[in-house]
Amino acid sequence: MNGAPTSGGERAVPADEPVVVETPDRRLSGRAVDLGVFDVAVDPEEVAAAVREEGGGDGGESDGDAGPGAVTVRCPAPRSVHDRVGLVEPGTALRVRTALSAAARSRGLSAPQDEELASVRAELSELTVPEADTETARERLAGTESAVAKARERVATVRGRVQAAREAGRDAADLREELAAATRDLAETETERAAAREALDRAERRAREARDARERRRRLEDRAANLKRAARAHLVGELREAYAAAVSAVPGADRDDGGGTNGDPFDVDPVSAALAVGRVADLRAPVVVTIDRFEGAAAAADWLDAPVIRV
Amino acid sequence: MLLVVTYSRAARGSLRNVCRTHEETVVRQFGRVALLRETAFAAFQALRLREKHGGDVQVERTEPFNEFEAVDEEVRTAARAYEERDSPSLPYAAFATREGFPDPEALREREL
Repeated sequence: MNGAPTSGGERAVPADEPVVVETPDRRLSGRAVDLGVFDVAVDPEEVAAAVREEGGGDGGESDGDAGPGAVTVRCPAPRSVHDRVGLVEPGTALRVRTALSAAARSRGLSAPQDEELASVRAELSELTVPEADTETARERLAGTESAVAKARERVATVRGRVQAAREAGRDAADLREELAAATRDLAETETERAAAREALDRAERRAREARDARERRRRLEDRAANLKRAARAHLVGELREAYAAAVSAVPGADRDDGGGTNGDPFDVDPVSAALAVGRVADLRAPVVVTIDRFEGAAAAADWLDAPVIRV
Repeated sequence: MLLVVTYSRAARGSLRNVCRTHEETVVRQFGRVALLRETAFAAFQALRLREKHGGDVQVERTEPFNEFEAVDEEVRTAARAYEERDSPSLPYAAFATREGFPDPEALREREL
């Protein structure tokens, strides 16, 4: 590979530097890169993964050195919105609102819920739930219940035999000894059962306290989820108009109403939605596109106002 | 019945899935809690949930409450009499003293 003795995975590429795409035998760079010139087909997923790794690692090592799979991309570090719209291909699935709120974040927007959400999350990370295992205690008790039953049964059986021997006038000395042993055994198993019960009671009390902590944690989790939803709704609201305008400007969008824009912009086909989100987002890392909506990679880069790798 | 209580969003989600998939096993579901039928299959589902979510899943076994076995007659009569009292704002403690029913403290200390 070409020079660049930088260690892998360094997120040190400045935002204005051109994107560099490398395979074992080709090297392309620029703001808009078209991999169509490669003789071998490149897997768009792999290019997108290389963008996420942004040049780190050698990519495709598992495919062997000679395979067409070894693609490396040097580019600025992607923002989180990239996970949503970093790869636009036919059949793309997209949660538009989630993507749009990530786009808002990429533009440095914040939501009124951010502070509270951060504090709830901090509270959550500090909250510890005590370990409380009751399984061992349950198992111990379950064993003793059956042991007591068995010991009791044995005492009854031996007692019956002693009785029978006595009534028949036979010597019952051995049997009496056996009865004494059985009785001792019963007492022991009963003691063990009592101890096991007590241990389970203690474990249950600890478990109850632990559940109080779990309950607090669940409430915090619910609150965090609600705040996150509200923050997302707020961010989506902030970009709604820009997004709707972007949707109506998407080339080749599949619009039900014959090209009008009075439809719901969130109801548009996923590729158009992804492009529109990409246009309103502040993307640093290149978007990998495989769709034919634009004249070429440069046109796509202009429209998205972001670096583009056309596969 | 088996009482399954969940203590995390993930565990609650799994419980809801189980309830949706195995309606015949569910006697009742309330939010993050469910009552399952007393079958080995229900136990299997409850154990699966506990295996997956650990302490975030509590499993208890319930039994029907029989007030004729569990408590003395005076408790049953006290409940009936208090609900039929003339002055709705009268607290039970005062009512119990006046009518000769067990006071709430005594009831609290009495285990079933």
